[in-house]
Formats: sequence, structure tokens, C-alpha cells
Amino acid sequence: MTSNLSRIGFGLAPLVALLLLWQAASAAGLFPPQVLVAPADVVAALLAMWRNGELVAHLSISLTRLLIGFGLGAAAGLAFGTALALSRLAEALFGPLFQALRQVPVLAFLPMLVLLLGIEERFKIVVVAIAAFFPVALAAFDGVRGVPRSHFEVAKLYRTPLLPFLGRILLPAATPPVLTGLRIGLTRAWLVLIACELLAAGSGIGQMMEMARQLFRIDVVLAGVFVSGLIGFLLDRGVKLIERRTLRWKAA
Amino acid sequence: MNVTTLFDTPAAASPPIDGALTIAGLSKDFTVGGRSLPVLDGIDLVVRPGEFVSIVGPSGCGKSTLLRLVAGLDTDFAGEIRLDGKRITGTDLDRGLIFQDHRLFPWMTLEENVGLALLNSSIPKAQRARIVAEHIALLNLAGFEKAYPHQLSGGMAQRGAIARALVTEPKLLLLDEPLGALDALTRIHVQTELQRIWLRQRSTMLMVTHDVEEAVYLSDRVIIMGAKPGRIRRIVDIDLPHPRERSLPQLHRLRDEILAELIQPVPTPGEPENLVRLPVREAM
Amino acid sequence: MRAHRHPAARVALGLLIPILLLALWQAQAEVGGARALAFVPLASIAAAFAELAASGQLLTDAVTTTSRALTGLVLGASAGVLLGIAMGLFRSVDRLIGPLYHAIRQVPLLGWLPLIGLWVGNGEAAKLLIVGLAAFYPTVLNTYEGIVHAERRNTDVGALFGFSRAQLLRHVLLPGALPLILTGLSQAIAFAWIATIGTELLLGAGAGLGATMSLAQAQQRMDVILVAIAITGLIGFTLNTLFARLRGHLLRWQPAIA
Repeated sequence: MTSNLSRIGFGLAPLVALLLLWQAASAAGLFPPQVLVAPADVVAALLAMWRNGELVAHLSISLTRLLIGFGLGAAAGLAFGTALALSRLAEALFGPLFQALRQVPVLAFLPMLVLLLGIEERFKIVVVAIAAFFPVALAAFDGVRGVPRSHFEVAKLYRTPLLPFLGRILLPAATPPVLTGLRIGLTRAWLVLIACELLAAGSGIGQMMEMARQLFRIDVVLAGVFVSGLIGFLLDRGVKLIERRTLRWKAA
Repeated sequence: MNVTTLFDTPAAASPPIDGALTIAGLSKDFTVGGRSLPVLDGIDLVVRPGEFVSIVGPSGCGKSTLLRLVAGLDTDFAGEIRLDGKRITGTDLDRGLIFQDHRLFPWMTLEENVGLALLNSSIPKAQRARIVAEHIALLNLAGFEKAYPHQLSGGMAQRGAIARALVTEPKLLLLDEPLGALDALTRIHVQTELQRIWLRQRSTMLMVTHDVEEAVYLSDRVIIMGAKPGRIRRIVDIDLPHPRERSLPQLHRLRDEILAELIQPVPTPGEPENLVRLPVREAM
Repeated sequence: MRAHRHPAARVALGLLIPILLLALWQAQAEVGGARALAFVPLASIAAAFAELAASGQLLTDAVTTTSRALTGLVLGASAGVLLGIAMGLFRSVDRLIGPLYHAIRQVPLLGWLPLIGLWVGNGEAAKLLIVGLAAFYPTVLNTYEGIVHAERRNTDVGALFGFSRAQLLRHVLLPGALPLILTGLSQAIAFAWIATIGTELLLGAGAGLGATMSLAQAQQRMDVILVAIAITGLIGFTLNTLFARLRGHLLRWQPAIA
């Protein structure tokens, strides 16, 4: 426990040193203020935006978009990937289209979706959902397809009914790759959402940064970089924690 | 059991003059979970130039560790190891080591793998290709120079590893269960080959093996080690001329004797006598 | 009836859904009115393709975007491999740079755009920075893993033959890490491609598939957008396929995965 803490301390030391250096350099006037402001100024901007509720408002709207979009996209991806893996007919029907669409970076769909959906909430949620859909669908397909044949044979041998088979055999066996897919989907959804908000939005962390850029408020831009990074980190770490808890039965 | 002496053997053009290994008072501990665990304890051993010595013993008797120390891969030990009077402080091209797995680099062809051993040797670059080709031919691998390890069978890959170890012409060759991963038939083939090569090169050989028959067939002496901590229990002389016939009755008798020594349990008071006399099986 | 087992039947089945979707699209287009703006008739998509191809704009865009992606890829990936090696070889570099790398990596790639915009403007430099960064992340990580997890069984052999540090790196560590480095590079290609399209979209202006899409969006030219999307997917697919070929050649020493 202590060694763990001290290791984290060791890891953070260079970061802290860098921040101090940056602060000192800014105080000494090494950077023009329109290029880089001191970390203390960024903290001040964060605190100010936290106090007047601006930060919370932007954050909650971004996170709401993320959760709804990701929820829809991941659910659709899970269902689609599993169906494709279990049914050869579904694979023959939808596989080629899926593989073709997968080649297109999600961001390339933005202009088309703006024309189809406008730039309101609907648009952002659909984009986030698409971003989550592809990695999750792929992981679900690989996960279910990757279940060893022997598992199916054991189930056949013991005449396991369908529901227990899905719940007790298929699900646990396919969970590890699916969780990884969900994690990738979540990170990608966050990336695409920030891009969307930079491109076209009236609110959200991305819009906050874009507005600040236009106003040359570098402290707010840096605050946005920090917040979006922190959210990205927490999302990734959160799913990793779930992965670790779920996979305790697997050899480390 | 003194049938003939080593010097009656018909092979070797001239008796080797170097490759003398001296191990004195060698001990080695491993630290496991904060506790010190003795692995080797007070090993004394002298191997003559050109001698073939095998080490047999139960798992965990530290025989592989001993080879790693002699190779110079691990320099953290008490005591002394000398090769021709020179103290061993690290790896050197005068010692070669062959592992149980071939350990050829998968990203190189056989030829490149063997050639890589010469990277730091004093042999002039112009001669290296010829020397590599000779050693590949010596191990009967001609024609497979451009093959990657995964394209070779287990026995061929292991012969490749032997070629790689020999190409630097080490004074002392260490073999850590070199044939342990091979199937029984391949094993016999490579044993025969090993004997032929040793008779030709006459470098000193120190081999760890689980196979008592193999040890007896190839060696001048067989060292029996005991475990926990690893110590030398007994040294058996195999004074028979090389090359040997596998069917030699003396070999079988020696094998049985060594096996009996190995399966003999550490005596515990009160154990019934009749459980100790197990019939000796064909192989371990 | 297991019709879908037959190869020809498989192709037909695979085309079924796309054809249905296209028909649905065409039907929407023919309804007319406000929808016709979004659902352009298929014929006009083909016409837009012919027009863009004939004017040379399509080729210019494709070449611009591809060379931008490849330039960023080469810059970012070579920096990434070098840093990954340094972090893998030297504990001090790992201790010093590692936390910084992992902190910076958390920020969504395009989230850097406003900051980079303030620093270097919205020109080529900003785009290359983002694309390079996209290629940089996965190469650092995979190279580092490959070097750090070099197998003891291989490094032992290097020690036996008295390899120097440089020899060990060249003959043992780097070839041993190659499979992972190539994995990193294939991720880098995918990310660099996404980043190129993303920066072109967000920074508009100039040539490039993303910029053309952005302009077409402003002009409500759905046909142009769709052509650009198709080309984007096609180039991305080609890059991935070509790299997979190269990877297969470089890793020909690996036993085939059964």
C-alpha cells in the first residue's frame, strides 16, 4: 500500500516539477501572455468558472450528450455485433456494409449529418452514438465469435438450454473483449464529441474552448484542455476498473 | 569398473590443453519474499580439459543455476569459478551455453543466427561466412541456411543452436538439458551427433540432464547432485572408451546404479526397509 | 436451405442491404421538397463525382490529404519510435517523460486544436502537429512495451555472445519489439487518417477532402459530401491494406498463426 503510494508520488514528481518550472518561467515573463499563461492563472480561471456555474453547465451538457449517445451506440453495437456473430445469414447480409462503413473515419460523416440532422442536440447524440457503435459492434462480434468451440460442445453435451447458455457460458466468455471494445468506444465517443462541439455548438466543453480561442482567452483554453483530459482519463480508468473487477477469474 | 583409461581412446588428434574448469566453495542464495534460500551450497569440482562431465539430480538441486553461474550470466555468488586459472566475472566467448529450448532468434535465418555469435569474435570478417557454413555442415544442416527457425523441426533447431554455440570455438561448452525438449528418437540421433562432435572438437563439456542414460552414454564422469540445498552427492566415473556403443552392458549397469542412487530417498528414521528397494525402471 | 454458404449467394446477400438503402435514399429524394436537399438523387452523386474528377479537384484533394496524413505520420511515428526506445532502454527517461506522456495523452486529440490555433495559427503547421500527435501516441506506447518486455531468453543469448548495448538493441531488442512496433504503426496510420480529416474539417480552408466537405456543407452540396466520404473511406482502406502487406513481409519470420 505504502509502496504503491510512493510509486504514484514518484510518478507525479516530474509533472509537479514541470508545473513549477512553467509557473516560474511565466512569472519571469519568459512567455508572452498571449502564448502561455501561468498554471496559477489556469487554476484561477477554472475556479472562477466553477464558482459562476459556467464550468458545471458546460460539463453537464457535454456529459449528458456523451452518456445518451454512448448508451444508444453501445447498445446498438452490442446487439448488432452479437447478431452478426451468431447468425451466418445476418453476417452475409450486413457484414460487407459494416466493413465498408468502418473504413470511413467517423469525423468524415460530420458534414453529411449536419445536412441531414441540423446542428442541434440530435446531431451531436447521433455522432457520438456512431462513434461508439463501430468499436463496440466489432468487439462484440469478435468476442462472441472468439468463444471457443469447446464451450459450445460442452453445452451441447449437457443439453444446456438457450438462456442459461447465453448467461452462463456465452456472456462470461465474450465479456473481456467486449469490455475492451466499450472502453475504446467511450474514449472515441469523447474525442468525437469534443470535435463536434468545436465545430458547431452553443454549449459544452468543446464550445467553451472554441469561444475562448476566438476571444484569445488562453487561460480558459488551457482550462478546457485540462478538463477534457481529466474526463477522458476518468472514463478510461473507470471502465478499466470494471474490467479488472469483472475479469478476476482470469489469470492475470 | 575401471575398464580402460581416457587416453586409450582412438579419436582426438592431440589431447586438449585448455578448458580446465575449477569450481571452489561455490554457494548461491536466492531471496524469495525477503527470505534467503540456499540453492547451491559448497560446490567443489574440477573438470579436466576436454572432459565430458554430466550433472544429474532432482529438480530444484540448482544444476541449471550452476550452469548460469559458470556461463557468467549471473555473477552474484560466493566462492570461485575459474577457467584455465582465469576467474569468471561475466560472459565471454570462451564459454558457450546451450539451453533446453534452441533460443535461435526467430527473426533471423539459421545462417544469420549462427553468424551472429561471431559478431564480437576476433575471427576476421572475410573468414566468418566459411566458418559458419562449416559449422552448419558439421551439424548436418546444409541446405537449411536460409530457413527461419519456425521452418525447422525441433531436432534441427536444436542442432542449429549447437552449431551457434560451437562456432566461436569455446574452450568450455555448457549444456543445460540440451535435448530435454526433443522426442525420444530425435534425442538419440542428436546424442550420437553430440558425441561425434565432441570427439572432433574436444572442448570441455559440462552438461545438465534429466536423462541418466544420456549422461552415462556421453560422459567421462557423472555428477549426482542432491537438492535443498544443492550439493554434490557422488561422482561416478565412466571409464569406457569413446565412441561408445549404446548396447554396452557396462553402460546399463552404471545407469541402473545411478538411477538407484537418485531414487533412493533421503533416509528418514523409522521408514520401512522394503519400500526403498524399488525395481529400476527403463527410463526416468 | 443454406443458400448463404454459396460464394455467389454471399455476394448477392451482401449487396442486398446496400441496394435497399440506396433505393430508400432515391425514394426519399423523389419525394422532393425539403428532403431533396439532404437526400440528393443518386444520379446527381454520380454527376458530382464526374464533375470533381474531371476538374481535377478530386485528385488534388486526395493527394493533398494523403500527403498531409503521410507527412504527419512519418514525423509523429519516427518521434514516437525514438521516444519509445529511449523510455524502454533508460529508466530515468521513463520516470521523467512517462507521466507527462500519459497525462498529455488523456486530452482528446482535437481538443488541442484551440490551443494550437492560438499558438501556430490555423495553417499547415497546426494540421501537421495534430496529425503527428495522432501517430505519435500509439507508436510510443507500443515501442516502449516491445522494448521493455524483451524476453529474457533472447537477451541472455545476447549476453552470452558479449553484445554491447548498441548490438543488443540492434540485433535483439528492436527485432523482438518489431511485431509490437508494427502494431503501433498500424494504429498510427488509422489515427493519423482520422486526425487529418478532422483537422481539415475543423480548420477548413485550403485543399483537402475534409476542407472540401466543409465547404460543401456550407453550400449544402450533399452530393459532393458523399463523394468525399467515399473517397476518404477508400483511401483509408488502401493505406491499411498496403501496410498490412508490408507488415506481413517484415514479419515473415513469424510462424503463421493457425
